Amino acid sequence: MQDVYKRNNAKNFIFISLFFFLIYLCFLYLGIDFERFFSALGRFGSLIANRYYPVEISYALEPGYLSSILDSVQMGYLGLVFGVIIASILAYLAASNITPSKKVGYIVGKFFIIFSRSIHETIWTILFVTIVGYGMLAGTIALTMYCIGFFGKLFSEELENIDMRLVDTMRSNGSNELQVFAYGVWPQVKTAFTGILIYTWDVCFRASTIIGFFGAGGMGWYLKRNVLQLEYARVSAIILSIIVLVIFSEALSAYMRDKIYKETQ
Amino acid sequence: MYQLAVNDYYKQNSSKIIKKIFFYLFLIIVIFFSIYFIILLDTDWHRIGSFQSILEQLSYFIGLDYSIMPHLIVPAFETFLMACLGTMLGLFLSLPVAWLGAKNVTPFGMLSFSFARFLMTISRSVHEIIWALIFVGAVGLGALPGILALAFRSIGFISKIISECIEGADKKPIEAIRAAGGSGFDVMYYGIIPQILPTVVGTIIFEWDINIRRSAVMGLVGAGGLGLAFFRQMHMSNYPGVSTVIIFIVGLIIIGEIVSHFLRKKII
Repeated sequence: MQDVYKRNNAKNFIFISLFFFLIYLCFLYLGIDFERFFSALGRFGSLIANRYYPVEISYALEPGYLSSILDSVQMGYLGLVFGVIIASILAYLAASNITPSKKVGYIVGKFFIIFSRSIHETIWTILFVTIVGYGMLAGTIALTMYCIGFFGKLFSEELENIDMRLVDTMRSNGSNELQVFAYGVWPQVKTAFTGILIYTWDVCFRASTIIGFFGAGGMGWYLKRNVLQLEYARVSAIILSIIVLVIFSEALSAYMRDKIYKETQ
Repeated sequence: MYQLAVNDYYKQNSSKIIKKIFFYLFLIIVIFFSIYFIILLDTDWHRIGSFQSILEQLSYFIGLDYSIMPHLIVPAFETFLMACLGTMLGLFLSLPVAWLGAKNVTPFGMLSFSFARFLMTISRSVHEIIWALIFVGAVGLGALPGILALAFRSIGFISKIISECIEGADKKPIEAIRAAGGSGFDVMYYGIIPQILPTVVGTIIFEWDINIRRSAVMGLVGAGGLGLAFFRQMHMSNYPGVSTVIIFIVGLIIIGEIVSHFLRKKII
């Protein structure tokens, strides 16, 4: 901790200047105008003030839009449910300490989780829209893939950190895999499972508000329409409604997490 | 005796259990409700056709387009740089927000604290695609809106972690510096930063890892990188090219994940 300030000053100076030179090179490579970069925040402010500012809140209260919010919520919920069911199985396979087959299951589970995690939810949406067509089915499948990656990674890490003594005891007493899971593994990860589930819901809902932009229904579709029509007042109303919904959903999940925490204490 | 205790326990908790059962039942009913309205009613089943036609659609994606591979290296590097610069800019922008949002060092009490919390929530709740849309409108096409969008999206997470670190920092060195006559800056520089540095660096590496994933889609709405290549291949209906771009994205992300894993291990 004390070492932070014990460096040579000249060395420090060279390091910092090299760092800024690197950033300068990056800017040159990406072809970014410095004048543009430093005026970006001002432009952003004026854009918000001039185009987005008079928010057309009445648009966000129209029944068509409100029902699209409900669609988004349902899409997120379905994606969460399917994703968590598949991801739990994959996470069980991909946890190196309790996986039933180390050669096949481990690799398959790990591969699927990493693969679905690496690809952003919007790319999943575009892919599934080309395969199954426009509509909320594509969005649901895309969110399922997204949840598999997200939930699977966190849950498999949780499974890898369990206390193995209990599992080993049960195995040596002759329990089968199902019994080991039900009495040895599950009680240890129950709380973490619920916590991760709530966290995944947060993230999944946030994703479900936007994937409509690429052709899966819901609020994103309204956003796309208004962006293309250059109706900035309506766009800002939609963004505002997304912010409000996300804050609401975050408050709800914080309440749930609190309740679960109290129950397990 | 033991039996009695168990019975008592169940009597006390029976209403709780009934509530729980109703809660789960509600969740299951919502699943069926959603399946009916979202999947059965909203889907154009004629467009999908049979199971065979789905497989046919999928089979278009099989195979790689080797001819576009040389043209993907520059966008991949661009994506990588965009993630690095976006994370760095996000860090610079989130430092003041974190300073305002930490309860023990915030200068104007509740006013600045709630303002900073408000900024963090907005930054986190607006999706990166929306940020990119706004910035493409503000500064035009290219890599710059992508960098700005990533930075603004990262502010929420980074500044939240930093401000929590500041709140949890050990008070003794801070008070010692104050007692010795140090200014607010001295307290920050000598008292707080050495304590929070490891966590902050870990957080930045984590955020950088996520930002690579995000920067790969910035091109979909007009910022550069691999997303633009993906968008082009998709619009040309060159499906093997699409899978090539996806493989590049996955490769880039896996490299980022490995690097961040080792860096974080080194720090912690």
